[in-house]
Parts: sequence; structure tokens; C-alpha cells
Amino acid sequence: MTTGFAVVAEGVSKRYRRWGRSRAFGTLKSAFLGRGLAEALGPSETVDALWNVSFSVAQGETFGVIGANGSGKSTLLKLVAGIFKPTAGRLAVDGKVSALIELGAGFHPEISGRENVVINGVMLGLTRKEIERKLPEIAAYAGLEEFMDQPVKTYSSGMYVRLGFAVAVHVDPDILVVDEVLAVGDEAFSRRCLDTIGEFRARGKTIFFVSHALGLVEELCDRVLYLEQGRTKGTGEAREMLAAYRLDVAAGEGERLKTEHVKDQDELREAAPPAPEAERPRRWGDRSAVITACRLLDASGAERYSFRSGESVTVEIEASPSRPLTDFVFGMGVYTPEDVCVHGSNTETDGLNGERFDAPGTARLTLPRCDLGAGTYLLDVAIHSRRGTPYDYWRGACRFHVESPTRDAGLWRPERNWAFSGGLRLSRS
Amino acid sequence: MLDGLRDLLRHRALVGVLVARELKARYRGSVLGFFWSLLNPLLMLAVYTVVFQLIFPARSPSTSPYALFLFCGLLPWNWLSASLTDASASLVVHGSLLKKVLFPAEVLPTVAVLAQGVHFLLALPVLGLGLVLGAAGVFGPAVAMTPALFQVPLLIVLEGLFLLGAGYFLAGLTVHFRDVKDLLGTGLTLWFFGTPILYTLPDISSPFLRSLLAWNPVAPLFAAWHDALFYGRWVGAGEWARVAAISLLVFTLGSLFFARLRDSYPEAV
Repeated sequence: MTTGFAVVAEGVSKRYRRWGRSRAFGTLKSAFLGRGLAEALGPSETVDALWNVSFSVAQGETFGVIGANGSGKSTLLKLVAGIFKPTAGRLAVDGKVSALIELGAGFHPEISGRENVVINGVMLGLTRKEIERKLPEIAAYAGLEEFMDQPVKTYSSGMYVRLGFAVAVHVDPDILVVDEVLAVGDEAFSRRCLDTIGEFRARGKTIFFVSHALGLVEELCDRVLYLEQGRTKGTGEAREMLAAYRLDVAAGEGERLKTEHVKDQDELREAAPPAPEAERPRRWGDRSAVITACRLLDASGAERYSFRSGESVTVEIEASPSRPLTDFVFGMGVYTPEDVCVHGSNTETDGLNGERFDAPGTARLTLPRCDLGAGTYLLDVAIHSRRGTPYDYWRGACRFHVESPTRDAGLWRPERNWAFSGGLRLSRS
Repeated sequence: MLDGLRDLLRHRALVGVLVARELKARYRGSVLGFFWSLLNPLLMLAVYTVVFQLIFPARSPSTSPYALFLFCGLLPWNWLSASLTDASASLVVHGSLLKKVLFPAEVLPTVAVLAQGVHFLLALPVLGLGLVLGAAGVFGPAVAMTPALFQVPLLIVLEGLFLLGAGYFLAGLTVHFRDVKDLLGTGLTLWFFGTPILYTLPDISSPFLRSLLAWNPVAPLFAAWHDALFYGRWVGAGEWARVAAISLLVFTLGSLFFARLRDSYPEAV
């Protein structure tokens, strides 16, 4: 306990062998004599679940790990818990670890809760005496006093998990490794789990926390490691890493929306505008003018469907008339997926009069600051006559995503300045 | 070998509770519970008595009364075969423990061997009863009960050591080659007939076959069981040395093999 660190990882890598291939080892000889089992396997036969990951967790710190599915979180967790050994690099863990990876792993269905608790406790490193002394406390914590003599096979899954959690937190570890286990159990129990974790923090225990519940990570963790495909994307303040992760997720979402958008446009171009449909048609109009493309551009002119709140957004509408027009209005509306109108305007409301539209052209509408709140929005675009006769009205022509760097709520994300006076003082965190 | 024993000592509490769990869980829900451990061998003895007293009369005078002779070899064999079957499957069956909890893998085959060992111990009173009845001449020619029975504890220890080593080896192997599970059933049957349980080695007429079967690593052990239980003879010093050397060697190699593959278990089970 001299280093002040509970976990130190230096260039940790973990390589799995790829299953489905016939060879279990490089050669049978290597299985018996060689040094590493996976070393002799070629790159096509292995998967790097973690690559060169370094971080350190101070004692008493609550350390979170985030990342998409398959980013190596669980592998890292198992390495820290000591279940797996790293293929390369150094991983030092200082203190007794209790891993909440699968609660109640090793419970035997046929024997009573009480006996299972004793066995589970011994499995987690307690002596028989210690665990027997803690039994009433564990039963009370799990709320299963009356069921302790029943065989575990009669328990509901919630009871099972509660008992497992109760044992795991009563072994009094120095380092608590928590996987996505808090999601199970009812609300009351989840609350109790969180209280227990809070208690652990208060007692200066180290917590290693893996979760997809970003809010929880933000609430609990001091620092966060952000993994992407087994590599470190960043380590730092929880808030900073979470914002980075959220933006990346949104960018990925934007990428997906863009692909979908292109596909949609291709499909709709051929059909557009169809005969009015009975139920909420996506596109209608008399085809006096047709929107041939609609896309969103960022400040640099690149096509994008994911924006940070406050960024500049340009709507680009390409259209062509079927006959020369003088009576035309370009319009757009922004809606939430729940069909709440966030904004609607057109060239007429903005004081512009149509003069001529006799050949294909492009209309661009720039919003220098798009101060929308975080969320997904739909864009409607339309060309219609001044009296409102639709030439081409296209609902949901674009779908885009707005990401907020902070945790504010609502559709509108205005610029804000707080000021305080009198006996009131706040400081920036 | 010392490392292996030290690990086992370190985890003795865990092994203890798991063996107890194994036994409790096995008879949970049955009316007679633990009595089955006594009753099963008793029924087995009864069946062999009926078959070999009434249906097939004894053949060789050296193995007469045959029912008792058979019983003396069968009990240690049942321990062996049940242990190795359980041990070889132990890591795969309890894979979730290895994957999800920091769990000392060697405990699992150890528990398999020891739990079966407890069944064996529980069957010994029945064997004792059989020997008393044999001494009274119930099975035919009277069998002498001698102080040679005091050799039994040492035989139990040596067979246990052998089974631990073999159990480790099979458990580790099964993780990577699931084929072992299927091979083991047939293998054990072949091994059973290749072990002096139904016969004694000197009874075999073909010298080639006799020298072939002498290579069976458990042949000296079962000869010693027969000596101690059935013939009431003291096992010779040379025989003891062979049995002990084989058990220690198998235990050491099995532990080494198991330790060598240890890191691969959580990923491969």
C-alpha cells in the first residue's frame, strides 16, 4: 500500500484466440512446452480485445470505464478482477478485489440460501466463521430473512441477485469491481445498491465501474477511461470523457442518418411526388415544381446530419420547375419526432418575393446559430404558391441530430449568463 | 508436487464447503438421503452374491468366494471411475465460476475426487460387513480377517493422490478437447477389464497378456487392495514402493499439466 494506487496498468493487451478455427494451440507441443498459449497463433487466428491500454486508479477513487459494446470493457474488468491474465503489459492490483460481475455465480440451486451464502463467502475469500457471523446481516440486507432455509431454486431471479449482491458487498473488499449489475433488481434494490456504493466511496474504497448508464457513471465516477475497439480513446475527468463519448455516439448516429438520407432521397426522387396517400403522406403536391434534393451542410459546406448545439447549419434545397413560375414560396419547418413544431418559416414570412423560377436552381437557408437542445429533429421542406397550394411538400426530408455539450434539457438551448449578487456566491466547477 | 499440495491446503476451507455441498445436493430431495451411500453398495453386494453364488459358481479357487473378491476390487474401482468422470467434466460444468469469479480452478477437480472419496468411505462399513460375513463363511469358504486391514488408510491416501493427479490432467484436457468426455466412458470400460478386479494377474495364462496388463498403472494398486482386504496379506515393501511411486508421479505430472494450462481455463471453458 505504498504506491497510493489501487490499480496500475501499463501497456496492457489482451489477445483472444479466434474460435471456430480448428487449432486450439499453435502446435500441440506448444501447449505443453511453449511459453504462451496464444503466441504461436497467426494474426488471423486471434483477436485483440485490448491493445496497449495504460491507466492508474488511485486508492479511494471511483474509476469508470465507458465505450460501445465490444470495446473491451468487460475484458478489462476481468483482467482487473484477476480472472484473466493480460497477454502483454503489466497490471498491478493492490488490495482485495470483490467483483460484481455475475451475482450469485456458483449458487447451487438444490441447497438452501444460507448454505449458499456460506459457500459463496468462502469462495470470495472469507473464512467460515466470518461469513457465519455476517449471515444475519447479509440476510437482512437482501431482505430474505424468511427464505434463507429454502433451496435457492425456489428464489425469484430478483431474490437470487439480491442475495448475490449482499454477499459480495459483505466480504469487505478494498477494490469493488462493478459490472452492469445494478440494472437488475427492482427500483428499491437498485437504490440500495447505489447507497452501498456511495458508502464504499465514503469509506475510501476504490471502485472500478463499468456501465452503459452514462448518467450513473457521471454521478459516481471521479475519472473515466474511454475505450474504443480495445484502445484508449481518452482518460480524464468524468464529465469531459462522457461529453466526448456522447459526441462520438452522435457522430456515429449522424453517419447513419446521412447514409439513410441518401438512400431515402434516391428512393423518393423516383417516386416524387406521389399521389396523395391516405395516411400521413410524406410527400405531396401538384408537381408544378419538384424538390430534387435536400441536404444539410455545416459551416465548411460539408454535408452532415449531426451538429453540436450552437453550430451553423445550412439547409440546401435543389428544385426544378415543370413550367416557368412566378408564384412560388420556399418553406421549411423543424419538427421533433413527436411532431411538435419547433420552427417554421418560408421566403414569404421572411419578406422575400418570388420573381422567377424557370430553370433548376438551388436555395440555401443558413442558420448561423442553431441553438436547438439535444435530440433528433425532422426537417420538412416545401415549395408552394403564395396562397398555399402545394407544388411539392416533403415531410421529414432530412433527419438530423443535435448534441449538447452539457446536461441541459429542452428543445431550446439559448446562450445564458448567470449573475449573482448579495449574499450569494457560486464558483465554476 | 509440493506446490500442488500447498495450493490445496490454502483452499482447504473452500474444498471443504464444496465437498459438503456436493454431497448435500446429491441427496437433497431423496427420502433416504445419505443412506443411499450405504445402501447402494449393500445392494451391489447382494446382487453379486446372488449372481456368483447361485448363477455362476466360482471358477478359480484363488478368488473364492468370488462375490466378496469382486466386491473388494469394485469399491475402489467405483471411486476411481466416478472421480475421473466427474473431475474431467468439472471445469466445463462450473465454467461460470471460472469466467465470472476469481476462483481457484484446481479446487473443482479436487472436489470431484474428494466427494466421490466420501462415498467410498461411506461404503467401507458395508465392505466391513461383507468381510465379517465372509469370515463367518456365509459366502462359502471362510475368509480370514487379519491386521492386514490396517493397510487400508494408506491405500486410500495413495489412490486419492493418483486420482487427484489423473483428475487434474483430464479436467485440463477436457477444457480444450471436449472429445475427452466421450472417450472417457469407453476408456474406463476398457481400463476396467484391463485391471485385476474380476481376476488376479497370476491367474492369466498367457504370459504375453500378463506382462502387458502389468503395465497398467493401477494394477499394483488393485493387487494391493486385494491383498489388504481379501487375502489378509501384508503388501510387500517393493509393491508399496511401486504403488507410491506411481501415485506420486501421476499427482505431480497432473498438477504440472493443470498449472501449465491454468490461464487458459477462464477463456476456454
